[in-house]
Amino acid sequence: MICGGGLAAHITVAMLSRQLPATIGITFVQLGDTSGTDLFYGSVAGPTAYAFNRSAGLEEPKLVLESDTAFSWGTKYDHWASGSRSWIQCFQLPLPIIDGVMFHHYVVQQGVAQLEPFLAAAAAARKGAFVHPPQKPGAGQEPLSRSEYGYQFDAMSYGGLFDACTDRGRVRIVNATTLEIERDESGIAAILLASGERIAGDLFVDCTGPDALVVSRVGSSFAARRKLGAAISHSPSAQLGAPMRTVSPTSFGWRSETPLRGRRARLTVYHPDSTADALQEHPDGAERTCEITLGRRSDAWCGNCVAIGQAAYVVEPLSTAPLLLLERDVERLMSLIPSSTDMSIERREYNRQSAEDHEHAELFTRAILETDHFPDTPYWQAVRAEPTNEKFARKIELFQDRGLLVSYDLEPFNPEDWTILHFGMGRGPARHDRMADRAPRDRVQGFLARMKRDVEKAVASLPSHATYMAELSRYLTQNRL
Amino acid sequence: MPPAEIETVCIVGGGTAGWMTAAGLSQKLQGLPVSIRLIESEEIGTVGVGEATLPHIRSFNNTLNINEPEFMRETEATFKLGIEFCDWGRIGDRYIHPFGDFGPIVNEVPFYHHWLRMKAQGDASRLDEYSFPIMAAERNRFRRPSDDLSKVESTFGYAYQFDASLYAKFLRRYSEGKGVTRTEGKIVGTNLNSETGFVDSVQLDTGAVVSADLFIDCSGFRGLLIEQALQTGYDDWSNWLPCNRAIAVPTESRGRLGPFTRATARKSGWQWRIPLQQRVGNGYVYCSDFISDDDAERELLDNLDAPKIADPKPLRFTTGRRRMLWNKNVVAIGLSGGFLEPLESTSIHLIQDGITELIHLFPDKAFRQSDIDEYNRRMALHFERVRDFLLLHYVATQRDDSEMWRYFRSMTLPESLQEKISAWTTRGYIIKYEFGLFLPPSWIAVMLGQNLVPGGYDRRVDAVSDNDLVSNASAIRANVSAAVRETPDHADFIRQIGAAATLQSVAVDAR
Repeated sequence: MICGGGLAAHITVAMLSRQLPATIGITFVQLGDTSGTDLFYGSVAGPTAYAFNRSAGLEEPKLVLESDTAFSWGTKYDHWASGSRSWIQCFQLPLPIIDGVMFHHYVVQQGVAQLEPFLAAAAAARKGAFVHPPQKPGAGQEPLSRSEYGYQFDAMSYGGLFDACTDRGRVRIVNATTLEIERDESGIAAILLASGERIAGDLFVDCTGPDALVVSRVGSSFAARRKLGAAISHSPSAQLGAPMRTVSPTSFGWRSETPLRGRRARLTVYHPDSTADALQEHPDGAERTCEITLGRRSDAWCGNCVAIGQAAYVVEPLSTAPLLLLERDVERLMSLIPSSTDMSIERREYNRQSAEDHEHAELFTRAILETDHFPDTPYWQAVRAEPTNEKFARKIELFQDRGLLVSYDLEPFNPEDWTILHFGMGRGPARHDRMADRAPRDRVQGFLARMKRDVEKAVASLPSHATYMAELSRYLTQNRL
Repeated sequence: MPPAEIETVCIVGGGTAGWMTAAGLSQKLQGLPVSIRLIESEEIGTVGVGEATLPHIRSFNNTLNINEPEFMRETEATFKLGIEFCDWGRIGDRYIHPFGDFGPIVNEVPFYHHWLRMKAQGDASRLDEYSFPIMAAERNRFRRPSDDLSKVESTFGYAYQFDASLYAKFLRRYSEGKGVTRTEGKIVGTNLNSETGFVDSVQLDTGAVVSADLFIDCSGFRGLLIEQALQTGYDDWSNWLPCNRAIAVPTESRGRLGPFTRATARKSGWQWRIPLQQRVGNGYVYCSDFISDDDAERELLDNLDAPKIADPKPLRFTTGRRRMLWNKNVVAIGLSGGFLEPLESTSIHLIQDGITELIHLFPDKAFRQSDIDEYNRRMALHFERVRDFLLLHYVATQRDDSEMWRYFRSMTLPESLQEKISAWTTRGYIIKYEFGLFLPPSWIAVMLGQNLVPGGYDRRVDAVSDNDLVSNASAIRANVSAAVRETPDHADFIRQIGAAATLQSVAVDAR
């Protein structure tokens, strides 16, 4: 029994209907309007999306042909840290380890403050160019083969894609406006609709967004943090923009620009006290606005009810964290579909992983916000007032001090994400790994110069995102079976 | 001005830990202005910390650019595909914990879930039949893994069984070749800095005083610097792993040369059997609360499969780890840092972890607390996760035929281990971690091998049709047996690659 609507519900229903055996019946009670809160899933999916979508039955060609989704190398944080620093938080496979020493130590040793010249995805993003990274690189393509890509999306149309690929014969879909819950000793026995219909189930999945209409009624409480507002507007664009989202800090919070196909999305995220300032960024008026409270529920899985996505926690869409966490929720649920009505093992393990994922993703978001160079306005004051923990301090301190990446078990963001972020934020380490000094300086210099040149060369000949997308669409249309 | 770099490193003790550390550091610091000195005494015997290793040893050797056949000749080494456990679940049981996975991932779900469904439907195949290293080990065959990841011959790793004291000698030559200075002498005193409490220098019986910026304590159980000088403290884990003594005895080599170590459960501990090229290492790890030293020795000698070639050698230990493995300017590597019984060949691996983490966190003269804390956090995790895995062997059992087994039956487990066992027995789910030695296949091998059969499996498996399920499984099985048929005999393979030292004559005699 899945309750809810919007992105989380459509993804969950698609995955369950695709992967569960026919012996398990699936009912989807479509309920509530999540078009506002879905803004908080952001507009960028990371490189995990490709495989995730496939396992839910959504193939990339469909995504290209049937939505305004575009490709993405990542996010540019524009004039972000230390006043004027900008960097591109691109998706990257592990950087080379040379003589047992991680790449970035050589960069520091040479006194280079930026990682970006060595990242092909960042260079391509800056140029507005895209191709699929080659699996087996041809001549001159090596730098790109270490790049990864994700998608730029509009939450509503992205959710629609999953909805469209759900097998209607497999899922019973019921529309509802309100619901009541019939409880029993294991949690929920059934859901009662306004129509009088009673829908019983063994496992209930709550995809109703931050209101958590189901799980909140079986005892899961919400630990609230900052309050945020979000507003979105779109402007038409004749030509597809760069495969990159741009995020800029403002006095009210931050603003992002995401090129989609045929339009650009502008999202503002702000402190509720600064709503008026934020709305000025949408000259033709905001299409949708929403206020929300960041935080996490005590238990994502309570009794026989599992909360997915925002029903379990609300995170800020400053990084790819919201969608990444949603994907991980759905995958975790799939691997822990209970085998009996006693779900205590599944529940404990699900909640343990969910809490860790949330905590670790929040470390990443916090690391983007952790600097003294932002204005003294309500949004930034609220950010600064939030406490950090020891795990966070260790990550920052050891990188800043010696370029060491402190990692915890199975974090959502990988070491490359962290390395790029630290460099972007100007946390270039004070000292480098001493073992890097064994290599002759001129050879290291030569190596880095060559790598930078290779990146420039590889990117120089790439087609623009718009051209590539147009040709890919034409190819897929012609070759569609 | 940045703090000055470390210029001098002093390693105290020259056993396996000491020389592995010397070799690792001398390779990594080569070309940098750091001098490394190792102090050891011919008078003090070393404890060979077990002669079986884990596949990670290969990356250590590779970093040192060690030539495999040469290393194997010098250390009387054989190959190892896993460990055979006898009499652990019930008396008469046996299983192999392999260095490799059981089948591929099918439709997003690890193969063993598919097998669990087949088993529930009455299929009689063993999960072992889907593991190349198990099937090869059972037939005493060996090859190196294929580079072609699409082949079943690529789905495993391997390690070695060797003479640890010969390995130490081998690494001594290596280290001295890289500029490590060896100083003969017994340490009779330690001089601490009166302000910082750091170790300034050590005093030798020869009258010499050796000072250094960084000291590495490889002095064995005594913990000459970490404990005797710095009084760091020890976390005693005897309540979980009560075995506290061992007797070791080598025997002649008999029969075909197995590419695996054997660990046989006994009433008051367990017995190891490690085949090397020209002899077999044997030993009995036991708990003195449950058996006397004399009885233990008798039990060991009664259970040898060949004549002994030396007198039994006793050892004593306390399971646990030093509260901090790095304290001030002293890093404890090897037995000075902690001891876990060699049931899963982890001793040398924990030495390797200690060296690797030290290299990652190599300090300068400022000795920042943040570096020290991170090292201790990482090492604590390594030790604890190995401890849980070892304890699993004692508690995943139906045995209750002696006081020791009854002791384990009544034990309250660490929560992390209890959760792992419950998730497995309920639904065949493996609770994973990233930073720890033993991956899911290891947990599966031991739990299943000791008769913990899950009550359920991943529900997604039911989406596969009966036909696909069975035909896919039999294709994997056929693939594994075909690959094993093509795999050479273990002893032949050692000869073929020029790794045989004393193997030739012995093996021919044995046939």
